Amino acid sequence: MRHHARVYRFVVRQTGSETMADEIANEVFLEAWRQAGRFEGRSEVSTWLLGIARYKALSARRRRREEGIDEETAAAIPDDADSPEVAAMKEDKGAALRRCVDALAEEHRTVVDLAYYHGRAVAEIAVILSIPEATVKTRMFYARKKLGEALKAAGYDRGWP
Amino acid sequence: MSAENKPMRRRDELEALLPFYLNGTLSGADLEAVEDWLAADAEAMAALAEAEMEAAETSAANEAIRPPTDALARFNRALEREAGPAREASGNPFAALWRRLAGLPAGLAWATAALAIALVLYQAVYGGFGERGGYEIAGTEQDEAKRPFALVVFRADARMADIGAFLSANGAAIVAGPTAAGVFRVAVSAETGADFDRAVALLAAQSFVESVTPGRRPADAN
Repeated sequence: MRHHARVYRFVVRQTGSETMADEIANEVFLEAWRQAGRFEGRSEVSTWLLGIARYKALSARRRRREEGIDEETAAAIPDDADSPEVAAMKEDKGAALRRCVDALAEEHRTVVDLAYYHGRAVAEIAVILSIPEATVKTRMFYARKKLGEALKAAGYDRGWP
Repeated sequence: MSAENKPMRRRDELEALLPFYLNGTLSGADLEAVEDWLAADAEAMAALAEAEMEAAETSAANEAIRPPTDALARFNRALEREAGPAREASGNPFAALWRRLAGLPAGLAWATAALAIALVLYQAVYGGFGERGGYEIAGTEQDEAKRPFALVVFRADARMADIGAFLSANGAAIVAGPTAAGVFRVAVSAETGADFDRAVALLAAQSFVESVTPGRRPADAN
């Protein structure tokens, strides 16, 4: 269940859709079955599964853009009456931080999720996202910089950046 | 030059490495650089505390997402639609294992599904269990019927590489399973009762083993 839950959560964070994540998580395990013979053992199985999930999530997002936004996604879009910074001012630091993480650009939040929640190394994230290792570090830097700026705007100055 | 390709300042580089220091995946020069920074700069400890808070809140945000409870049943239906009859006809040694997933409690079944995938992958990577001699599962040609064995439940987060390495190193083999309760029958190399007790104790001591129940003992121990 742990592997399925992690794949499911990873896809929810990628797509913002629980319905889509449910379908994709199942497809990931089916795909693993289909492609088992081609697995070369260069990475851990869990890294490989997340790589499949990433590919399927990107494909699904592309299809969704082509087909137009669905109702679930529309309902999940937060009311922008409060910017993340303003909303964060109303909460304690932990809650503010969580909101700021959620508000990161997808490419930054994905790197943060993979490192902090999925426990992945720089090299593993590079495999999952198909980007150079240096880009993983740069994205992490910008993600944490954005978090620091958003928290500062909400009244929590961390001293960096 | 795009923003992602601009060179970073030293402090920025170290801040970018902190999440990987926290998750224990840094090594080599990067690890050394972060450790030196933490030892020499008071601001570094404050930065580490901030990163720890980011890690806690990111984990909380992810854990708050609850997977649907009927996911396993739908996964099994999809698997059956795709490969059920073909799998049975092909004599795939994993077919029985996959079929049994449908009868398991959800949490256990997903753990077993992950292990099953790992078994498939292990075979794919290493070219077949039987060929390596030390690692086999039910359905292979070797007759394991008379070997002493233990009944083993592996932990949900067990790594196939660890299990495979242990079994190969100790002349053991998975010869059947899992049962509806997720139990595997593991044949062990033991000619005497003392050998058998040592093998069972060794199995029980492994971090990837949830529980071990002694099964058939060697003939001299009966």
